[in-house]
Amino acid sequence: MKEISVIIDGKKINVPEGTTVLRAAADNGIEIPNLCFDGRVELYGACGLCVVEAEGIPKLLRACSTKLNDGMVIHTESERILRARKTALELLLSDHDGDCKAPCTLACPANTDCQGYVGLIANGEYKEAVKLIKDKIPLPSSIGRICPHPCEKSCRRRFVDEPISIAGLKAFASDMDMASDDSFVPDTEPDTGKRVAVVGGGPGGLTAAYFLRRLGHSVSVFDMMPKMGGMLRYGIPEYRLPKKLLDREIKQIEALGVELKNNVRLGCDIKLEELRCDFDAVVIAAGAWKSSSMRIPGEELNGVFGGIDFLRAVSLGNAPEIGKTVAVIGGGNTAMDACRTAVRLGAEKVYVIYRRTRNEMPAEELEIKEATEEGVEFKFLNNPIEFIGENGKLKAVNLQKMRLGEPDSGGRCRPEPIVGDTEMLYLDSAVMAIGQHPDLTGFDGLDTTKRNTISADEETFRTSLDGVFAVGDITNKGADIAISAIGEAQKAAVVIDRFLYGENVKYKKPFRVERELPTEYFAGFEKAKRRTAEVLPPYERKNNFNEVSKDFTEEQAKNEAMRCLECGCRDFFDCKLIKYANAYDVKPEKFTGTRHNRNNENKSSLIIRNVDKCILCGLCVRVCDEAMGNTALGLIGRGFDTVVSPEFGLPLEETDCSFCGQCATVCPTGAILEKQPCVKNLTVKEEIVNSVCNLCSALCKTEIHKIGNTVIRVKPSGENGLLCKAGKFSVFALNDLKAQTLTDQSEMSQAVEKIVSEAYRSNIAIVLGPSVTSEEVRAAFNITDHVFAELNPSAAAFGAFEKYGVKTVDEMPPKDVCILVKSTFSNAKARFLISIDFLKNTDADLSIVCAPFVSDSGTYIDTDGVKHLNCAVNSTLPTALSVMKALTSEDSDEKAEDVNESSAIHKEIIRNGGAYRQNLSDSFIKTFTDNY
Amino acid sequence: MKIVVGEGSCGIAAGAAKVYDKLASALDKSNELTITGCIGMCFLEPIVDIYDNGTLTRLVKVSENDCERIAKAVNSDDLSIVEDLKISEDDELFLKKQTRIALRHCGIINPEKISDYENTDGYKAIRKVISEMTPEQVIEEIKISGLAGRGGAGFPTWFKWNAARSSDGSEKYLICNADEGDPGAFMDRAVIEGDPHNLIEGMLIGAYAIGAKEAIVYVRAEYPLAIKRLEKAIEQATEKGYLGDNIFGSDFSCKMRIKAGAGAFVCGEETALIESLEGSRGMPRLKPPFPAQAGYWHKPSNINNVETFANVSWIILNGGKAFASMGTADSKGTKVFALTGKIKKGGLVEIPMGKTLRDVIFDIGGGIKSDKKFKAVQMGGPSGGCIPESLLDTVIDYKALSATGAIMGSGGMVVMDESTCMVGMAKFFLDFTAKESCGKCVHCRLGTKRMLEILTRIVDGKGHEDDIDLLEELCYAVKDGALCGLGQTAPNPVLTTLKYFRNEYEAHINDKKCPAGECTALITYKIDKNKCVGCTLCARNCPVSAISGTVKNPHEIDALKCIKCGKCKENCRFGAIEVI
Repeated sequence: MKEISVIIDGKKINVPEGTTVLRAAADNGIEIPNLCFDGRVELYGACGLCVVEAEGIPKLLRACSTKLNDGMVIHTESERILRARKTALELLLSDHDGDCKAPCTLACPANTDCQGYVGLIANGEYKEAVKLIKDKIPLPSSIGRICPHPCEKSCRRRFVDEPISIAGLKAFASDMDMASDDSFVPDTEPDTGKRVAVVGGGPGGLTAAYFLRRLGHSVSVFDMMPKMGGMLRYGIPEYRLPKKLLDREIKQIEALGVELKNNVRLGCDIKLEELRCDFDAVVIAAGAWKSSSMRIPGEELNGVFGGIDFLRAVSLGNAPEIGKTVAVIGGGNTAMDACRTAVRLGAEKVYVIYRRTRNEMPAEELEIKEATEEGVEFKFLNNPIEFIGENGKLKAVNLQKMRLGEPDSGGRCRPEPIVGDTEMLYLDSAVMAIGQHPDLTGFDGLDTTKRNTISADEETFRTSLDGVFAVGDITNKGADIAISAIGEAQKAAVVIDRFLYGENVKYKKPFRVERELPTEYFAGFEKAKRRTAEVLPPYERKNNFNEVSKDFTEEQAKNEAMRCLECGCRDFFDCKLIKYANAYDVKPEKFTGTRHNRNNENKSSLIIRNVDKCILCGLCVRVCDEAMGNTALGLIGRGFDTVVSPEFGLPLEETDCSFCGQCATVCPTGAILEKQPCVKNLTVKEEIVNSVCNLCSALCKTEIHKIGNTVIRVKPSGENGLLCKAGKFSVFALNDLKAQTLTDQSEMSQAVEKIVSEAYRSNIAIVLGPSVTSEEVRAAFNITDHVFAELNPSAAAFGAFEKYGVKTVDEMPPKDVCILVKSTFSNAKARFLISIDFLKNTDADLSIVCAPFVSDSGTYIDTDGVKHLNCAVNSTLPTALSVMKALTSEDSDEKAEDVNESSAIHKEIIRNGGAYRQNLSDSFIKTFTDNY
Repeated sequence: MKIVVGEGSCGIAAGAAKVYDKLASALDKSNELTITGCIGMCFLEPIVDIYDNGTLTRLVKVSENDCERIAKAVNSDDLSIVEDLKISEDDELFLKKQTRIALRHCGIINPEKISDYENTDGYKAIRKVISEMTPEQVIEEIKISGLAGRGGAGFPTWFKWNAARSSDGSEKYLICNADEGDPGAFMDRAVIEGDPHNLIEGMLIGAYAIGAKEAIVYVRAEYPLAIKRLEKAIEQATEKGYLGDNIFGSDFSCKMRIKAGAGAFVCGEETALIESLEGSRGMPRLKPPFPAQAGYWHKPSNINNVETFANVSWIILNGGKAFASMGTADSKGTKVFALTGKIKKGGLVEIPMGKTLRDVIFDIGGGIKSDKKFKAVQMGGPSGGCIPESLLDTVIDYKALSATGAIMGSGGMVVMDESTCMVGMAKFFLDFTAKESCGKCVHCRLGTKRMLEILTRIVDGKGHEDDIDLLEELCYAVKDGALCGLGQTAPNPVLTTLKYFRNEYEAHINDKKCPAGECTALITYKIDKNKCVGCTLCARNCPVSAISGTVKNPHEIDALKCIKCGKCKENCRFGAIEVI
């Protein structure tokens, strides 16, 4: 064909005449976005995303259909093009209803994939769960215990009954991992030689260190306290977070190669300027360590303590004398920690004084409940106005009675004093737990905010000093929960990493499609009570610092995880729409209008359809028709209300759908998905193993998608790949077989091996039947070169017959040994009988050995070589073992990938549902559908 | 005498069939009673033409009750007794000012009789073509004529024919696009109902020129009368040997069939039409390949509009030059327009290119109904745009009309007066295109929907400050991004109204006012107490009993109950009802 020369984005390219812009660009590494193009079907031109400009042509051209002419100059990224693509995406997103990520995940300040690990736990993939958690949080056991879990507050299960115990599940998985012999250790990149100093060894600092270290940088953490952990260690009482757990988690971080330096205080032991000189970057995460003052008379008295000062002293083993009657002032979690600690220190009467009511308390509900159980008395609508002492020692506190006034801007009722109404409360000590703020001594030179915190850019985490970044409680708004500091540190690590290479990047909140669901939606779910971890009874817990709640048992954890409503989209990591949406920085809000929310996802079929996510690219309809010759799906309605529907609106099961799953393969969004072989859908990134489906002679190349040990789905690989129902779904049988060991060797098989090993190789002939697998063909050649079969193209392994050079059975010469493999065709049988006669006539020593491969064998093979040959599937034993042995032991130069295109009837076979194996695989698919 | 009743769909709708039946029973058998198609003066239907030795007496707005009288007049040879029914001299000018080529037989011959057509030089052109001309000569003649596609795009007909002729392959198809869907357009219907053989002959000539053995007419199913008459005509032509094998004993064979479309506007787009013909959902295909290369069943195909074909036999008989002598430098021949809306004389107008819009609307159409002020004319239906009064002297010419932002279109001309809200008008057309979008491409499916939503909130008085910018942004995005003509032209009504009537948009958004007083959300009906005499007519006509008051005392409208239908204003004889 004539070659032409064109220029795409300034790059001169030679292509054959008639090549489309899209193809030419793709072949030359220029990516043009598209949503409705697919090699398996005819051009369609619906999405309008692939538009490009050609010099001299005023209109935008669709790259998918525009054929290049000699000398054409194409631009793929002009402003006009980007605007057009952006508009197309924004229009699409304006009618795309779903949750890219579950509300729990979106609510987590550290973007922990909550639904992801809850799902993994439900499926027993604990290791994977920990991997996923540790991708975002380096201290999951600790955080799982102490986090006020914004995730649970956003959990949609609350509209059915109660939220999932997400935090508890996190602690469960992490504890289990830590207790195991091979705790998860994240990968670290090779050393970069860059050095980063982290000031502060609390959750923020340790997180920054963890992620920067994983990126290959050398990290030193400096902390003023004797041990690392920051507020987790010195602000959270032992009964909530046993410090030996924290120690172990910190050890794991240290094991990555992070240098930990304690008892180093900035400003005293080391200067910021020194760190700036010695390191390539400095991260400040020193926290907020000063208790806030109430600014009332008497605070200086003996027996009046700051909240975190008090907790820190207890942690350090220097618990102060608190006497018998103690009042804790404040309504937050620190107040709860303080009052419950006071109980444990032996105080007889502990009050909590709060100026609003219980409803307004910011503390966790559970904490309030447990404090009450431990005998703490709450004095609501009281505000201390003066501490009264005697000889410098606290004696009482004067309380102003309050009432609730109008709600403030945040919606909380503002307390106002009831003039003249006060109460005197006699005490031995008081703890002021009303807030905390940073101590900025030693941080000279950094710009501060009016809240007396370090000013840091919210997108770049930069401070006013070059190379100095700051995160967590010490910055901007001040003290917040630990997971917020972790989230900031995690995002800052990415920014700092780039900074170390001289790049200035910003953290940008990614675009995600979110949705609101009507109340009716939740009516359909069966109620199931939330399981919380077991808590020790008050009398067992109040006089010691032992951890009050127990971990979930495995069964409890699984059951709890099973309550998940699976909000997030399973296709998130594969979805082209969300990928482009973020690449093109979309703002679809401006097109907000009617959005379809039919909420009629069908989860029961092998093919799960959710039309609310459909972008009407038409690929499913077209691939069904054009590639598979079926018309199970079609478009109905017009304009905005056009919708993809099975024929006559029937369930797919009642249409001519062959469940080949091609529609799910080509769907660019999560509108059509394959059913997962899981008790709870997994929405996490899948690992892909390239393989070949060996269920029939079509030998389709596949991508096996796995999560942990579970094969989650199979896709045909390549732009033009196809699969049948068997190839798509029967491989899930692997998941059921993964625990089995194949040990049951039969005598017959041993006999065969024996014969084969007795040097009869040159005199063996093998006759293959029509239903042998490709592996068996391959295995046969490992035994002898004399392999024969009836060369019928409809034989299951015909492709392999051709590939390996199986000869026609008519030409079979006399041999000493003849092995008949699954020969059922009468012709082959007849030929075999002839050969028996023949053998008899030639007085061979051994006449017949029959059918060593009595079973069907199915294996999946990595095209990179045979080393990933995992296990046998569809095997009724024992011969799969022999086959596998043959396959693995010999030369592995023959790669499975070469086998694929050998059959001209490839597509026809797939259309027919994969020739001979369908009945067999149907039983596996049935098991699959029955189980999930 | 020969009595002819106009039985186009317009006539029948006005009662022509009943008139015919009455006349049939009342007339003496010595008279010949027959029918014809649409005469063009829809505003005067039903029309009864009386021919007395070639002299025509035209009776208009005939009702059933007039039939006895007409029969008596005819039977007694005294037409003076129906003097009052005779068309006025002024109305007679409506036809006299026209130049009819495509419509030359419409309203004259009986469309159901092939002999009527034959008697007016029917099937002479195809005979001439087959016996005297090569296909190339036919194409050359069409080229000389300058005939361009009358469906709207104005693409040179000879070029399409030539492309289809030059495409490889022996199996070719000639298709007639009779899926006339623009609101307010009925030119094609009139041709098929009034002169179906002319269409058949034009198509035969086209089929001969491109080398097609099969011709298909894609007619919308909503035109049952057209389908019926065309079916009959195909039957008659086949019987006579004009259609079928070896026409006039030559090698040329061509059969013809009708495909009734199922009602999707987008099937007027040629590639969607082909999909529909093939039995698929009517959705446009990517172009290229063009139908001339790969059309029906991926064979070379040529598609022309009804009116285009209706000119062909005339061109062959009279020569391309005669056709080209009419019109402007770029646009040759005549064009048929369907004149509707707030116009005095609505109907079919065929005039030579080069006349002005004013000629059509004021000179022929007689101006605006009830002498209101002219505001704009929408050309080309939902794909076209509006042209304001200041541009009324624009000549009818493909280029000149495009320069205004509107298009020639297939011939729909909807006239609007001062009481039409231009934002509401744009919304009307957007509503049409949004509903008729096939749903395939993103820009059309979602772009028109979002534009419609914006327009809706503007007319509802809920427009946002930046809505005009957003609308414009969407308009250009949809124009650029849509796959087929439907989507690419859908923004035209919005763009032209924004261009010429931007102040109306601004009034809706900024002042929450509808200057034309049409948008119900933005107007209030009020009774002027000084003018109201308490006649109670308004109260009696109010469908929701929103008006209260006692006899001879000023009435009042309950604004909460009022649905702003305008019945009160229509009925008030004292001008007491005002719209604010």
